[in-house]
Order: sequence, then structure tokens, then C-alpha cells
Amino acid sequence: MAAQRQPQGRIRINQETVVIAISVVLFLVFSIFLNKFLSQGNIIALLKNVAILGTLAVGMGFVVVGRGIDLTMVAVMVVGVAFSIWLSTQGVSFTFAIVVGGLLVALLGLFTGILVAIAEIPPIFATLAIASAVYGAGRILFSSDVLYAPSNIQWLTFIGSGTIFGIPMSVMVFAAVAFVMSLFLKKTRFGRLVYASGDNPAAARNSGLPTRPVIITQYVVSALIAFIAGIIMTGLVTGINTRLYNSTLIYDVLLVVVLGGIGLSGGQGGVRNVIVGTILVGILINGMTILNFSYTSQNLIKSVILLGALAIDAVINPRDEQTSQSGDI
Amino acid sequence: MTDIIAFQTATKTFGGLAAFKNVNFSLRKGEIHALLGENGAGKSTLTKVMAGVYKLTEGKLLLDGREVSFSSPKDALDKGIVMVFQETNLVPAMTVAQNIYLGEEKMFNRLRGLYIQARQFLVGMGFQVDPTAQVSTLGAAHKQMVEIARAVHHKARVIVFDEPTATLTPEEKRHFFNLIKRLVESGVSIVFITHALEEALEAADRITVMRDGEVVASGEAKDFTRSSIVQAMVGRSLTETLHGSASRTPRPYGEKVLSVENLSCAGLVRNSSFSVFAGQVTGMFGLVGAGRTEMAKVISGVMKRNLFHGGEIRLNGRSVRYRVPRPAMLDGIVYVTEDRKFDGFFETMTVGENLQISELSNGSNPLSVVSMSRARVLAKEWGERLKLKAISDRARMIELSGGNQQKVVIAKALIQQPKLIIFDEPTRGVDVGAIVEIHQLIGELADQGMAVVVISSYLPEIMAVSDRILVAKRGRIVEEFMVSDATEERVMFAAVH
Repeated sequence: MAAQRQPQGRIRINQETVVIAISVVLFLVFSIFLNKFLSQGNIIALLKNVAILGTLAVGMGFVVVGRGIDLTMVAVMVVGVAFSIWLSTQGVSFTFAIVVGGLLVALLGLFTGILVAIAEIPPIFATLAIASAVYGAGRILFSSDVLYAPSNIQWLTFIGSGTIFGIPMSVMVFAAVAFVMSLFLKKTRFGRLVYASGDNPAAARNSGLPTRPVIITQYVVSALIAFIAGIIMTGLVTGINTRLYNSTLIYDVLLVVVLGGIGLSGGQGGVRNVIVGTILVGILINGMTILNFSYTSQNLIKSVILLGALAIDAVINPRDEQTSQSGDI
Repeated sequence: MTDIIAFQTATKTFGGLAAFKNVNFSLRKGEIHALLGENGAGKSTLTKVMAGVYKLTEGKLLLDGREVSFSSPKDALDKGIVMVFQETNLVPAMTVAQNIYLGEEKMFNRLRGLYIQARQFLVGMGFQVDPTAQVSTLGAAHKQMVEIARAVHHKARVIVFDEPTATLTPEEKRHFFNLIKRLVESGVSIVFITHALEEALEAADRITVMRDGEVVASGEAKDFTRSSIVQAMVGRSLTETLHGSASRTPRPYGEKVLSVENLSCAGLVRNSSFSVFAGQVTGMFGLVGAGRTEMAKVISGVMKRNLFHGGEIRLNGRSVRYRVPRPAMLDGIVYVTEDRKFDGFFETMTVGENLQISELSNGSNPLSVVSMSRARVLAKEWGERLKLKAISDRARMIELSGGNQQKVVIAKALIQQPKLIIFDEPTRGVDVGAIVEIHQLIGELADQGMAVVVISSYLPEIMAVSDRILVAKRGRIVEEFMVSDATEERVMFAAVH
């Protein structure tokens, strides 16, 4: 049956190929018309920005595959790192403070996970509320918006400005996170369970999967990934601005995930989709910044693109007339 | 009599796959026409074309002798053709009257006037439904009445029912057929899809049987018999094997695996007590609403939330209570769901992946590496064992037929190596060929020493598979028979009030 509906041997046009095509076109257009775009400095800047966005998106994608959503990521990122920096000013070593910050972040993820998995609060509401709560608590604790990391931490400087084979360390961290997540999702037992509970949570429960531990783990992991993204950011700009929470970063992360082709209905897509989405959004933001677009018009363009991508996907992959209806033939 | 609707060499394909081809079908004015066939025979698609849900790929659809093509269900509705789906399309939060007059509210609605109007209308049709009742509080039969009232109110000339009696009790069924007879007398034509052959033989004027997208038999109902219909449906004589004679000797009692005492839950199960033995098929019969599914779900931990109101469940003499299915599964209790699409399988995954998930759910190390070829091995192994037909390795579950989907759901359960397996309506929405195979499998499992429970609302099925029959009524097990002394009449008598 499947063979008849999807002829084999033909390249299947799906969201992923469309997004790759758009990325290539955008890249070429920007390269030709913007003389600063292809400069080495700009490409490095592009990659560095992409590193933070992409790392966050890997965490978000992990949750979305399991039919969840984690809006706490940016709040957890800024507050987790700011807490570590604040702790290091209280007389403990910075590295130790980072470890404590990581534990705090894991606890926050655990709490979110419990709210979603056991109290069964819809994740969009649970995480929205926790995001505000976490940010609010951070604002009370830290006296200023911007916290600067100590300047003498070697590994942090290395993450910020070091390179391996000419590739910025921040990009390497993103690549490592993406690689590990990809293995985790594709190859491990846990990864399969995440796909199953995203595909059909009720069937997952009935098949005897430990659905609650799976959900809780997802939120803990996404919180830790957010923390890693925060460390990258601290390395790049030697500090963290907690006001980032008020920016549209979390929506950029969602844009990457949805644009890349991880359906919000769960059970499909993977790290490859995150990377594809990250590249497109990264090129786009970078190009618009060079073109000196205002922040507001950038947001407008990004949202129009999101809508366009969804529409194109719906046209070239129409929902099947038959499966969209329930009942037999 | 004139044809109100006629299909002429009509074909409907979905992406190269024909749902039906070269179909000639006619509906006369003022007749009841039963449409029969296995699942996947093309009945539903045919009726959906009638109701404007789909358009024909080839051929003609004639309405009153003129060729038409409905642009939407609304278009068909305007021309007097109404389809009543299995799941009703009523707004649950509104009252009966509001549902009947839905879509024609005036700017300022006087509810009282509406209720008076609705009451007169309903009484005029002989329906005993309170127009002020909220639809969500009504039973299946009353909901159907409201649907019919709405159809009549819309001046329907043709009403199409998709399995109208599936959720009705015997009395409600009788009432339903009285209703449609009265409608027919007033000049309305009725088409109904059904799996119950007796209904078609009793109620219909004409019968059309479809198989594999073609009309294989069509004619006056009085020219058909039960066996001639079955023969036409399956293309082979299956009457005997399908609901084999009940006079076989029951399997002996094995060890007592499960005993339930005074179980109560969620207002649906009240003080229910019964036992299940190894090496035997225990059939559980009852009408819809008798609480059988709820008993099974409480026992296997599938029931969500804390609706347990007391009683004792013993597994091999040990008192147990499960809040989630996983520990029950680890102890050897597996529940095979009655609604496989909702909570039975993972629709975007392949057969192999589905089976692999069940295997993985047993493991304990979350980081253990999963073998990609294992899914294919499992698909092959279970495909052979359960005779899964015509699937490629890469077919997703959603693309399989109902019978094959059900076999996969059963395979998922068997992978857990259960000691007690509970089948809830194991052959609902399954084609006739697969029904026989599933019944055989159920028997084999009992022969291997497993304790098997089969819940079914279809009495011939219960008679065919069970060694021991438990009859549920109003949340309680009220009678117990060995199959050797049970007759359909005795079992049904125990189940109805």
C-alpha cells in the first residue's frame, strides 16, 4: 500500500528539502548582494550565533519529539548561568559554581517534568508559568541585569574564543551536543521510547512504557542543554544578560524546530531537522542584521517565513484525503 | 418506483488505490437499503460520495436522474442528502432543541419558543426525547434520535447511516428500526451500512453486498439468506468456521490465575466478583455499558486516575492493584485495547518498530543500544506467526487494514509474554478472514496454558471462542456458564434486564 502511494526512487519533496533549498538560495543571494556577508569575520560571527540558537533548539527538539514543549529554556539558561556567576562572587570557585548551577538547573527541569508528567498540566502552560517564576526569582536575587564572569577562567575563555582546526569552540560544543543527542535519540532504548510517547502517549502507556520517567527525563535534559547554551554565551560575551528572557529568543528556537520539520504533534523528526532549521534561521538573521533591518521588522519577517514554510509544506504534502477522515474505506 | 440516487460505473481512487470501481448502485424512493461487506470493501467511501464528502474519480452520480457532483457535504445537505456518522456530529454542550435548529438561529433567540417548537416536532415524529436535555447527557440511542430529527427537520430525502446500531442495545435497535420504517412511510429513502446480517435481512427492502470495491450481489432482501450474504461477502463459504458449533468440549480448568472480589470503580462497576483460570478462554459477555471494559482496565492498570472504590484483585493469590499498566505488564497481565487507533499502536511507525517498542518496554537500561535490524526481524517473525498480509517492511501502521492493525496490537501484547491476556472486542473493525485467524490464535494461546479473557458484545463470537462464559450486567458479573451448557438464548437472557 505504501509503495503505491509514495513511488520509490523519486526524491520525496518534504519540508526538510525545501528548507535546505531556501537556505542555499538565501546564502547565495546574500553572498552576491552583500559584500560583507562572505567575509571570514562574518561567517565566524554567524556560526557563533548559530551555536547558541542551535544548542537550545536541540534541547527543544528533544522535548517536541516527545509531544511536549519547553518554554522555560531561555529563563533557565539566563538564571542558571547568572546564579553560577553570582555564586562565584560569594567566594566559591567559578568551576564549582557552574557545577552547582547545573544541579539547580537539573532540579528546575525535574520540577517542570513532574508538573507535566504527574500533575498532567499541559506543557505549554506549565513551562510558561515556570519560565516567569524562574526569571522573577532570578531578578530578585541578582542586583543587576548583566552579570560578568570572572575573566581568569581558562576553559571559559577557550569556549568563547578558542578554535579547533579553525572552527570556533562554541560551534564545536554545539556539534558535540547535537551529535550526542542524535545518537541518544536514534540508537538508544530511551530514544525509541521518546518517539513512541510522542507518536501516541496513550498507546505508549498501554504498551508498558515508563511514560512518566521518560517525560521527566526530557525536561531535565532540555534544562541542562539550555545551561550548556548559557555557558557558550557566557564564554562568547564574557557575561550573561538576564534581560535576554524578554527577547524573542525562545520563539527563534521554536522557529528553528518547526521550520526544520519536527512536527509539533510529536513522534517525528530528529537532530538533522534541528541542524537544517538552525542553518536557515542563522543565515536569515545574520543577513538581516547586515542589511540593518530593525529588530521589529526582523521579527515580522521571521514570522511570515514560519507561516510560509508551514503553508508550502501543506501544499506539497497534502494531508491524505482518506487518512484525514476517520473510519474505514 | 423511481431511483432517487444512482451510481453508474462509478470509481473512486485514492492515490492509485481504488476504494471501489465500476460500481452500479441505485436507491429507490421510499426504500430501506442495506449495504453490507467486509471492512475495506468500499461501503463507507460509497456513502461518503453520496453525502458529498468525496467526489467520484470516474463514472456518474445521478440524483433524480440528473448527473450531479456535490461540491461539499453542505451542498449534498441542501439537496436533501444527510449522512449520520458512527460518531455523532452533535454539539454535546447544547440542548436537544438547540442541536436540531443549529445553524438557523435568529438574531434574538427565544429559548422557550424553541423548546415548544422542538417538543411539537419531536412528538410529531414519535420521539421521546426531552428537548431541553443537554446532548452530552443522552445515551447513544437518544443521540441518534436527535440526529434523525435534525435530518428530518432539514427536509432530508435520503438519510445515510454508517453502522447505526453498533452502539445500541437490543431494545434500542428495535426502536431505531421502527423509527426508520416510519420515516420511509413518509417518503424518505434510507441507506444503512451494517455488519449485523440479521438486521439487514429483517429491516431492509433491498440488500447490496460489496467485496473488494465491487458490488458482488444486489437484490430484494427476501431473496437473500444469512449464508448467501456471508458467501457473497467473503467469496467463500465461511459460515461454519466463523461461528463454529458451540457443542465442543470446554478446556479443563487450570490454575486459578485471577480472582476478583467485590470490585467497585467509577460508578460503572459495582461489587463485581469473578475468577479466571489458566489454559482456558473466559468469555465476558454483556451489553454496552455493563462495565466489562472498566473491570478489565482496572485489573490491568489501564484505567486512569483514582477511580478505584474498593474490592480485592488477586493475581495467583497475591493481592495486587495497579495504577499504571507497566507494573501489571511486568507481572504478566496484558490488556489488548478495544480502540486500537486511540491507544493501541504508533501510527507513524512501521510494524517492526511498533513491535520493537513493546520489546524495549521490558528493558531496564535506558542507554542500551537499540539494534536497527531487530525491528525487521520482529516484523518477519510475527508477520509469519500471525499471517500479516501484504505489507512492505516500510509500511506505516496507519496504512494497514483493520485486521492487520489488530494483529500487530495483539503481537505487541504477546511480546510481553503475558500469563493473563485480556482481549477487549478483539475483532471490532476487522475483516472476516482475519476474524477467523484471531479466533484461532485465541484458542492456541489457551492451549499453551495462558489465561485468556475475551470481552465481546457480539454473542456469536463469545460462543465461538469461550470455554467459560461470564455475563456482565450493570457493572456486575451475574451469571456463569460452561460453553457446553450455554445457548445464545440463555446467555442473552442473562445479559438483558
